[in-house]
Amino acid sequence: MTKKTDKVLMDRLASAARSGDISRRSFMHFAAAAGMTASAATGLWGTSAAAQPSRGGTFRWGVHDGNSSDTHDPGTYVTRQMIFLAHTHRSYLTLIEPDNSLGPDVATSWEATPDAKEWTFELNPDASFHSGKPVTAQDVIDSLNHHRGDASTSAAKALLTDVTDIKADGENAVVISLARGNADLPWLMTDYHFAICPSNGDGTIDWKSGDGCGPYKIESGEFGIQWALSRHDGWHGEGAYFDKVEMLILNDPNARQTALVTGDVNCVSLIELKTLALLERNPDIKVDNIPSGGAITMPMHCDTAPFDDVNVRNALKLAMNRDEIIEKISFGAATKGNDFHLSPVQPYWPEDIPQREYDPDQAKSLLKKAGQEGLSVNMSVADSVYTGAVDMCVLYAEQAKAAGININVVREPNDGYYSDVWLKKPFSAVSWGARPTPDVMFTLAYKDDAAWNESRWQNERFNELLLQAKGELDESLRAEMYREMCVLMRDDGGTIIPFFNNWVYARGKGVERGEDVAASWSCDGARAASRWWFST
Amino acid sequence: MGDILGLVAKRLGLGLIILLVISVIIFFMVELLPGDIAEAVLGQGATPENLAALRKEMGLDQPAIVRYLDWLSGAVMLDFGNSIVTGTSVSQTISERFANTLFLATYAAAIAVPISIVLGIIVALLRNSIFDRVANVATLTSISSPEFFLGYILILYLAVKTSMFPAIASLSSDMDFGDLLYRTFLPALTLVLVVTAHMMRMTRAAIINLLASPYIEMARLKGTPPWKVIVKHALPNAWAPIINVVALNLAYLITGVVLVEVVFVYPGIGQALVDAVSKRDFPVVQACCLIFAATFILLNLAADVGAILTNPRLRHPK
Amino acid sequence: MSVFVIIYYTLLLGASCLAAYFNKRSAFLLIFSLTLVSFILGIVGGPGALRSVAIAAGLLALAAMVSYAFREFLIVIASTNMAKELRTAPLTAAFGMFVIFTYAIAGIFAPVIAPFGEAEIISSAFAPADETMLLGADQLGRDMFSRIIYGARNTVALALAGTVLAFLLGALAGLLAAVNGGWFDQLIARTSDVIMSIPSLIFALLMLSIFGGELANDTTSFWLLTGFMMVTGLLVVTAVFENNIIGWAIGLAALVGVSVAFAGFMLIIFNPSEIILVLVVAVIYSPRVFRLTRAVAGNVVVMDYIEAAKLRGEKTWYLIRREILPNSTAPLVAEFGLEFCFVFLLIAGLSFLGLGIQPPTADWGSMVRENATLVSFGEITPLIPAAAIALLTVAVNFVVDWMLYRSSGLKV
Repeated sequence: MTKKTDKVLMDRLASAARSGDISRRSFMHFAAAAGMTASAATGLWGTSAAAQPSRGGTFRWGVHDGNSSDTHDPGTYVTRQMIFLAHTHRSYLTLIEPDNSLGPDVATSWEATPDAKEWTFELNPDASFHSGKPVTAQDVIDSLNHHRGDASTSAAKALLTDVTDIKADGENAVVISLARGNADLPWLMTDYHFAICPSNGDGTIDWKSGDGCGPYKIESGEFGIQWALSRHDGWHGEGAYFDKVEMLILNDPNARQTALVTGDVNCVSLIELKTLALLERNPDIKVDNIPSGGAITMPMHCDTAPFDDVNVRNALKLAMNRDEIIEKISFGAATKGNDFHLSPVQPYWPEDIPQREYDPDQAKSLLKKAGQEGLSVNMSVADSVYTGAVDMCVLYAEQAKAAGININVVREPNDGYYSDVWLKKPFSAVSWGARPTPDVMFTLAYKDDAAWNESRWQNERFNELLLQAKGELDESLRAEMYREMCVLMRDDGGTIIPFFNNWVYARGKGVERGEDVAASWSCDGARAASRWWFST
Repeated sequence: MGDILGLVAKRLGLGLIILLVISVIIFFMVELLPGDIAEAVLGQGATPENLAALRKEMGLDQPAIVRYLDWLSGAVMLDFGNSIVTGTSVSQTISERFANTLFLATYAAAIAVPISIVLGIIVALLRNSIFDRVANVATLTSISSPEFFLGYILILYLAVKTSMFPAIASLSSDMDFGDLLYRTFLPALTLVLVVTAHMMRMTRAAIINLLASPYIEMARLKGTPPWKVIVKHALPNAWAPIINVVALNLAYLITGVVLVEVVFVYPGIGQALVDAVSKRDFPVVQACCLIFAATFILLNLAADVGAILTNPRLRHPK
Repeated sequence: MSVFVIIYYTLLLGASCLAAYFNKRSAFLLIFSLTLVSFILGIVGGPGALRSVAIAAGLLALAAMVSYAFREFLIVIASTNMAKELRTAPLTAAFGMFVIFTYAIAGIFAPVIAPFGEAEIISSAFAPADETMLLGADQLGRDMFSRIIYGARNTVALALAGTVLAFLLGALAGLLAAVNGGWFDQLIARTSDVIMSIPSLIFALLMLSIFGGELANDTTSFWLLTGFMMVTGLLVVTAVFENNIIGWAIGLAALVGVSVAFAGFMLIIFNPSEIILVLVVAVIYSPRVFRLTRAVAGNVVVMDYIEAAKLRGEKTWYLIRREILPNSTAPLVAEFGLEFCFVFLLIAGLSFLGLGIQPPTADWGSMVRENATLVSFGEITPLIPAAAIALLTVAVNFVVDWMLYRSSGLKV
């Protein structure tokens, strides 16, 4: 099976792995693509003995994006700070392991019927809430039902529309039935909204008290200010090395930075990229720069002139110098985009699609073909989209001038950007958090009838493939389908993807982490508190 | 004295009417803001269905005027209602934040007011000397740089480079008073730098303004030493404008410090207000704005009463 | 002991001896105290500290020389009367005038002076200064010097427009309220109380969020501006024509014409979102101007000469124009200087909340904010626009101080 080219590829991979240019996750990924079995690939990666974690200490964690109006309601989690807190004091059915694979949390194992329409999750009998109550099937059912039904106010409601029924199978198993097969359901359960909360017994959950079944329990705290947590001794998982966790909400980038430099906190969840290089010079501080599945997108409404012409859309895609944008806006902390919404750290990433480069001349000729020479368009953006988002669009506008395109950057107010500009203005810039699988992402934002089809893109073949791939349990067939979908997005779609932004966070002196960190959220998949430790 | 009591009663009554007008303005301004609470809470996760459900749960399906009257009927009995987003009582959420803000303002005022008045008197005495010019340039420079920037510079020199003070002013309940003063020193210092210039310049101007008056001339010709001329003769008549500008700056210390709170991560009321505006959480916005307005009205009243008390001539208006 | 230190002390001591010999008391005191301070500084900080003292003194001397030359220049070109006034100006005021003059030139002729365009990207991010880029590059690789020059134009023009509108409305209302008194006075005073009681940053945040998004278009801003001018104009018409119905009709017609023309003119200079910013600033600051004007004019109104003019049968407008205004100019001008600076800072603060000027337009406030975090690492990029703001504020207030001083009639 292994061809000669694969051998060459394998050597290259191994050397990349040695020099640290490649994460274990992508290594496994490439290796699988080259036809290697998982165990052989693991062997090739090599096992460097991981440092032995030690217990104790108070982990002071400076996190960004907190708001005094936050609540413990998992249905309306929206700020990053609440996502960090949720992963610290609550648990989920499944979780994303540091190597970005799917792992057990409250559920120990799961299996599906062959059509992927019915999934059974076995629950961990040791799992318990901070109140001491064990986690039962009823708690899980009510927690998921919190996001279903007409009265639900959850932002994750759209993710569970296919679920027809959730019922208990004894005390320690839950069966989820779907209207259509979905091979990704266990992945879906890692979504930050689906936290397991104690049931009130009447079909509702008690989210107000802040009780959870996560590694740490809340001692005291206030939304938008700070939280004090201590270890939950009955936690069902491994880890939770710190005795106490203090979470400080530091919204100002300078405050985060100085707090880390002066040692007021042990870790900060976001570094301002401008200061990245300067901060890396500090010997006491370790900066983690982790590629993620989060993307910056620039959707163009495909039903609105001039974007209704695919030549115009492709000209705009070609008129962008992504390398310069990554260098000047992300200061290198980003992965180059190729106009399809799937990042190299995510499953099913097709590596053989050629990268789209800056080509103003070709853009010009495409515009000529479309009869749109001297095109002038407005582009909406707000500072809150991404640090430097406005600058990014200004830079893009300068680059597009070489293709004879005039882009008028309009700075919209931060406040209300996602309700008044996104989905409404024909050309805007948007930031997307990572979704666990391509199916979730494509269904949310590229399917013809999706509420958030931000580019109003209608492609019959794409939608057909999307449905097919959803119920397909054969991995290689699925990968092939996703590849075709990516090509369609790249060459016909209405979304420019300049880059996938990296998670850039930093640890102070003495904070140790495992060899790999999860790429789903900043700070090791938002689980720094339960996965990291202090060196002794 | 009766005159003053009458004045205070009249002004307080007027203040209540102003508060009412402000509550109407704020309510309708928040209503006019693009987007509503439900959209703000769900953010990017909003779909038509969950928006409708959330609006119903929050009572947003009622007409605006009904919601306002509902709130007003509670507010007249000092019940400011519950936050629409979090469901907790507004007075409970805000009282602690407001106490923090008051503490910081008092701290800064306790340093800034004496310094600026004494400095103002000294520069009036040494007017047009090098000292006057230097004090002038220094204070003008400090008010003319944006306050968040001033904060960053103080952090750089006093926290990062020399680690004399903590860079962030996070509070916890088990701190003693000295610790509290130590932790909040940098934000207080930033505020002092911001307000000192205005008060000092006004003190200086108010005193210099009087120096051309005949009675000062007389005192000077009598051979009274310059410092005595200023402290004994000019200052008593200059109190009114000084008290006015002090009141204005005290109001600023309470109402205008959002940016300083952000920079130093200080849990004050300004941050709560900005957060509430971004979430369209009307009862919280309303409560914060009314507290600010009441502060402003009371300080203004105090300034006027102070001016009357220090100037016997104003006690008997013609 | 380096050569520098020896020269340093020789110069200082020589200068103080010379000053003492020629009986220049204040100069001697200054130089000699500097010498004494230098001894301590030299011991504590070494030659480095002395060097910075020397540089600071050099800069000060340079500024003093420039101011002196500029004052003489103004005296030469001004008319005799003006020249007489100018001769009394202290060096600080001359320095202030020089800075304002420089900024005005930079603002007006920005496209000629700036070597590069305001949005032109010419090098890598944060490139250091070289001969083509005097101050280095900003975060996108745009020339910092050019952006500072353009920033003078945008920021100063906006702040100036906002302050002027605030003064038009506030001062007119204050003067009328002082002259008319009664319910008119009460109404305006209470309205201004309401606006002043709402914190300015929050008020601006609310107003700009309402008018900032969809509504920031040519039509809306045109009507808002026309409306603002109509309100201001109504005050003038009330004062000029009082109870004369025909006059009112003519006045109203003229007013509509002037307002529309003015709004059209403003739309040529500024874009819609900037006009809304200017209006919000004007609404926030006019109550403060009103209060001051009302207080100052209130003191003038009770004077005997006003009583006499009233008995002569003079109209309100005459009283305002010929009697009250000339006697309250000084405090108003002083207030204008301070308010101008506050408006400046408010606009900078608003851009902190993402509500300021549209990119890629350069304004100093956003230039400070965009790179503010770099300060913690000792980078000077954000200090340059901050220094530009500070310099202008200090300069304006130097001039204002001089005017206040003149008006106080103090001759010492």
